[in-house]
Amino acid sequence: MKGMTTRQLSLMALLTAIALAIHVAEAQIPAPVPIPGVKLGLANIITVYAVFTLGAGPACMILAARILLGSLFAGQAISLLYSLAGGLLCLLAMLPLRKVLTRKQIWVSSVIGAIFHNVGQILVAIVVTGTPAIASYFPVLLLSGIAAGLFTGFAAQALIARMDKRKKQ
Amino acid sequence: MKHSKPARVLAVLLACVLLCACEKQEASVEGVTSSVFAMDTIMDLTPYGAAAEEANTAAEARILELESLFSVTQEGSDVYRANHGDGVPVTVSEDTAALLETALRVCAQTDGALDISIYPVLRTWGFTTGSYQVPDEAEIQSLLERVNYRDIAFDADARTVSLPDGMEIDLGSVAKGYTGDQVMQVFRDTGVTSGMINLGGNVQVLGTKPDGSAWRVAVQDPRGDGYVGVIEAVDQAVITSGGYQRYFEQDGEIYWHILDPATGAPAHSGVISATAVGDSGTMCDALSTALFVMGADRAEDYWRTYGGFDYLLVTEDGKIILTEGLADRFEPLGTWESSSVTVVKK
Amino acid sequence: MKKTSFWVILIAAVALLAGVAAVWLQIRGAGATIANIYQDGVCIRSIDLSSLTETVTFTVEGPAGTNTIEAEHGRIRVSHAECPDQVCVEMGWRSDGASPIVCLPNKLVIRLENTAASATPEIDGVTG
Repeated sequence: MKGMTTRQLSLMALLTAIALAIHVAEAQIPAPVPIPGVKLGLANIITVYAVFTLGAGPACMILAARILLGSLFAGQAISLLYSLAGGLLCLLAMLPLRKVLTRKQIWVSSVIGAIFHNVGQILVAIVVTGTPAIASYFPVLLLSGIAAGLFTGFAAQALIARMDKRKKQ
Repeated sequence: MKHSKPARVLAVLLACVLLCACEKQEASVEGVTSSVFAMDTIMDLTPYGAAAEEANTAAEARILELESLFSVTQEGSDVYRANHGDGVPVTVSEDTAALLETALRVCAQTDGALDISIYPVLRTWGFTTGSYQVPDEAEIQSLLERVNYRDIAFDADARTVSLPDGMEIDLGSVAKGYTGDQVMQVFRDTGVTSGMINLGGNVQVLGTKPDGSAWRVAVQDPRGDGYVGVIEAVDQAVITSGGYQRYFEQDGEIYWHILDPATGAPAHSGVISATAVGDSGTMCDALSTALFVMGADRAEDYWRTYGGFDYLLVTEDGKIILTEGLADRFEPLGTWESSSVTVVKK
Repeated sequence: MKKTSFWVILIAAVALLAGVAAVWLQIRGAGATIANIYQDGVCIRSIDLSSLTETVTFTVEGPAGTNTIEAEHGRIRVSHAECPDQVCVEMGWRSDGASPIVCLPNKLVIRLENTAASATPEIDGVTG
């Protein structure tokens, strides 16, 4: 990230805005299962896209901006902690995968990112509530996380494929 | 690094969130506890504030002074002299006179559920000495002939008391309550505004806690370890009588130290723990015993007639009965949370 | 570059483990009847649900407002919450210990266990 072009900056701003819109829209939909932390995480599509097309720095900034603003718009202060911890771990897991995965395996990073996101959520929940018993939600959270990760992963992969095609044209 | 600024903002935000979570309040005023062994029990005194040490010294002296007046066994005490007065009026101290007056009033109001002349029967059961036995019925009946608070000739103005031949009194059921009132007075006189004392299970609190909140006094679980619940109290006495406090077991039967003056045997009213809450320690001490003996129905009648205090009863079938003044100040704990609670209203 | 099958097997293995753990928790939690209510990790109340004969309702205060908890014979739930997300209310009734009811905004956890977590209430003195 040496010197940001206007093009890059506006792309990042655009992606942040889209992620934020998805994030806020999703917050309006009632949770599919009444378990705290279970959600589709559609905004993750943008994170995956940013990781694979823009790189670590921009992806990190987009994610941070989306989480901070998203919590401000849609959630409570406490949910910021969960999102930050989850998002950070998710990103840390995704970044090394960038070098390992082919264009057809992008969905894998989303699933593994989701798993680490769940780990972050549970850890914060245990610390915040002081109740290790909450860990009993981990298996259910993990299963739903994998499912959601598969969905957003394939969505992101399709998006990236489309964008690649456009660039070639 | 281009994104050092957002990173810094992020760090500041995170720090704010963490700081908010860590904030905690701490009490500033310390209490000083001193323990005194008197009236056959341990008395813990905990006044708060600058005058605490001084208050404790003065209170200890006052407690020992009162013990020397109310003791049944100590020769020369007011009670000992009255019990050995051979029908001749004995002049007693102002403290003893004040205590006798209150005690006799409760005896009369409760129609003898409290009777300070039960002492000879209590001694025969061994509750005063620890050599327990179940006396035979004839012995109890002959002793009961001399048990009747109405036969105590007490002149409040002249401060004289005389007992019929063979009668003995014991202020054990009220002495600790009176002592509590006096310790509270000593605390106030020395400038203490906040404190708690526990005279062998009789809890009395002065003012609020130093942080301004009510004192939280737990009521012992009559069925074992733990508590029935917590009563919030400000400037009050919280005093409990229970069969579990002193008892012995013989042939599978449990005999406790609170006797029904009507039968001379341990009181079985269906109540296994009675707590009185009120401004006067003397009254609460007397009433906790009387309520235990009277049982739920008579307790309710008494409270409706005389009032001036609140009570909490635990029945042998595990129910909690309390008066309306305690309804918002009592919180059951543990397994008692699921017990049925009856609120008695005026 | 790993083959796609490697990643599929890895993810399937994690999912399988999670599934087994979920089933194990379900089995382990069966038969628990004592609801322990934790706030900030401290058990503030224990209720033996099997001994209840009528519905008990009480409230717990937290940073995000009040949770109203309803307990009756064999089951417990959060019937009302002042927090915006209402997840704890939607979690509905719990009658076994497979998973707790959690209200994250109020740091509240309701868990069915086999023993009462000794509630350590704040007490200044004991009468009796």
